[in-house]
Amino acid sequence: MTHRAGWIIAVLLVGPALTGGAMAAAQDSQFGIRGLGTPGRWESVRSRSTGGAFGPFDPLSPLMEASLADVGQLTATAAGGTSNRDVLVGGTATSLRATRFPVMGVAGPVARRLAVSVGFTTYLDKSWDLTLRDSFMLRGVLQRYTDEITSDGSVADIRLAVASRLTRRIALGAGLHVLGGSTRMTAERQFDDSTFHRVQQSAEVRYDGLGVSGSVLIGLAPGLTIAGWARSDNRLRAKVADTTSALTDLPLMAGGGVLFAPSPSARLGASVAWRSWSKAGAGAFDTWTWSAGAEFGSRRMPIRLGARGGQMPFGPGTEAPTEVAGSLGTGRAFAQGRALIDLGLERLERRGGGLTERVWTVLVGLTVRP
Amino acid sequence: MIRRRLALVGAVLLVGACVERLTAPGHCPDYCPSGQITVVDTLLTTSINRDSSYRGYVLAYQAALMLAANLPGATGTLDGRPIFRINGYGARFRISTVDTSTGPILGADSARLQLYVVRRDTATHNLRLQLYRLPITIDTGTTFGSVTAPFTDSLLRTVNIDTLLAQPGRKDSVTGDSVVADTVNHRLVLSLKLDTAQARYVATDSGTVAYGIRIAADTLASIAFGKDAFGPSLQWYLRVDSLGTTVARKPGALGARLASFVFAPPPAPLDSTLAVGGVPSARSLLRVAFPKVIRDSAQIIRATLFLVPAVAARGAPADSFVIEARSVFADFGAKSPIDLRLGDTTVIHVGATDTVKIEVTNLLQAWAADSTHPTVLVLRPEREAQVFGEIRFYPSVAAAFRPTLQVTFVRRFPFGVP
Repeated sequence: MTHRAGWIIAVLLVGPALTGGAMAAAQDSQFGIRGLGTPGRWESVRSRSTGGAFGPFDPLSPLMEASLADVGQLTATAAGGTSNRDVLVGGTATSLRATRFPVMGVAGPVARRLAVSVGFTTYLDKSWDLTLRDSFMLRGVLQRYTDEITSDGSVADIRLAVASRLTRRIALGAGLHVLGGSTRMTAERQFDDSTFHRVQQSAEVRYDGLGVSGSVLIGLAPGLTIAGWARSDNRLRAKVADTTSALTDLPLMAGGGVLFAPSPSARLGASVAWRSWSKAGAGAFDTWTWSAGAEFGSRRMPIRLGARGGQMPFGPGTEAPTEVAGSLGTGRAFAQGRALIDLGLERLERRGGGLTERVWTVLVGLTVRP
Repeated sequence: MIRRRLALVGAVLLVGACVERLTAPGHCPDYCPSGQITVVDTLLTTSINRDSSYRGYVLAYQAALMLAANLPGATGTLDGRPIFRINGYGARFRISTVDTSTGPILGADSARLQLYVVRRDTATHNLRLQLYRLPITIDTGTTFGSVTAPFTDSLLRTVNIDTLLAQPGRKDSVTGDSVVADTVNHRLVLSLKLDTAQARYVATDSGTVAYGIRIAADTLASIAFGKDAFGPSLQWYLRVDSLGTTVARKPGALGARLASFVFAPPPAPLDSTLAVGGVPSARSLLRVAFPKVIRDSAQIIRATLFLVPAVAARGAPADSFVIEARSVFADFGAKSPIDLRLGDTTVIHVGATDTVKIEVTNLLQAWAADSTHPTVLVLRPEREAQVFGEIRFYPSVAAAFRPTLQVTFVRRFPFGVP
């Protein structure tokens, strides 16, 4: 395949996000309903299978830019995941399921020391569907009703990133982030008494925002690399029919990681990140997240495993909900390494405010190097 | 082959995996969006103004039914009498079907009059029908008073419908009368045999006859006869002179050219109250000042019009009637063209003085959707001039009892607010 074919694949992968038609989302959570949404995971399937620990060092994970410096050749990637989620709250359990495509992107070198990447990932997932049974006094009579409020859509992070390896040990990167997307929201109420007509309202809420990021990758010694990154987004503007309905400050973020490769067939990593989500308003918390993971075996068919934990940014009460997850995965290279399929399985549990979510997620990633 | 099967299984799994299931019970307020559906209920006490009534939309002869009643009341007897005229064949009739030769009609041996009773109260007992001969000069201007004399001295027949229904085969072998009960359409088809004296074919009158009907019963004597396709029809059995020989001829049955009814007492004149119903039918117009706050930024889920009767609803006690509220295409007062696409109704029970409620949600929703639509309500009987019933409501000038609107609406949901 030629470079032109590669760019065609890139357009096919990224185009939907640029036109606002993408259904890019990560993993829904009931914790995100009250807040801005559920933050996405800016990780490829490979990184996510290691608990996210390899995220800062993986050029196909849209977390850091500096790692793009080592991408070597034009590469396009996409990931999909199906989640089965059990929600336990107030003594009731509900099983939910969703399929998402959280990462798509293309990266490649454009000069001897310069690589660029364009792609999108989920910034906030905003897909949920709630039903509520209640009653209230209306016209002197207790009226029972059923509400259904839905939101379908997400805020995507469209990233244009550049990276350069300044020396053999140091690589730098920077990125421009355009936040965009929309949700189709509906609010319905059906009264038991049919003399009250059905309440049915809907709107398309469009979102926009801007952000910048920078990152550095430092090789301390052969097989030992550390990474650091930071990002700042301005605000998320929600517009309904050309009228701004909300302006919400977005967090500053910073994080770092370490990757240790004692041998060609063993790689160990760890990372940590902080996000100032409390800027988003009431019910939001600053979060710390950590991850640790490893990859064993040849790059042709490795075994990956990892764990991660931390806090969720939105939840009731005075403390942030927590989450902990374990993951494992593998990959398989085809066509002399030009095509890679990554598979991952993740078990996650979130707790907070009387609600527990347990999630199984099956991940599939496809990477093409034309 | 194996690859194809694997691909098929893969495709099925992929489709299955893409099935979304996101619906979960809400646990509010912790796990619900901050915005909620907000319902507001408000009583618009002064929004209805410039209301008025008009009468004369459907006259008795224009009504789809002929009303018969004999109901003693506190203020007099409600007496309704159907009248109809059936034109004849003229002075001559065709002798043969193969040529156009005609012969003078000598007279009629008999005739059979068919009547459809399209509405009756099955609780009515001993229902009797009296057939009178009327002058053939009756027309659309005929009044109750102008036919008082023939309704007094020209009785032709009396038929007891209950007795006839009890007869074997619902046929009276002595009089030749019969009745068919159509239980599907809830109709009685009366067939009355008239002899030579009762059905006089007068050639100089072109065979035109006119009849009137009075009814009586032990109680609740109020019925309605059909018109047009279900109107009176007369089957003549004629004697025709064919070159000196009298021959019998049975021409086709003739329908009524005029079918109407007269009644007493006449409706009370209109006053400041809002009259709806009666004969000739009356309508009332209510102009509504529709608040912009509701029209522009809310979804109406229920709207109820409250009307307080100024007097008890009048009419035949058994004949409850339906009034409807409709909108208009343009406000031209009494001649406002009615928008028939949407309407809301309620049943009025004769004698009742309770506040009348009409659900007008559909109409107000239409007004909210189309700001150019006149916000005018027309109250009229659903079937104009097909019942004697009439109700009068207090108008807007009666401050304590004026028409009011209760509107329940939902404010715009705060979409996009976290």
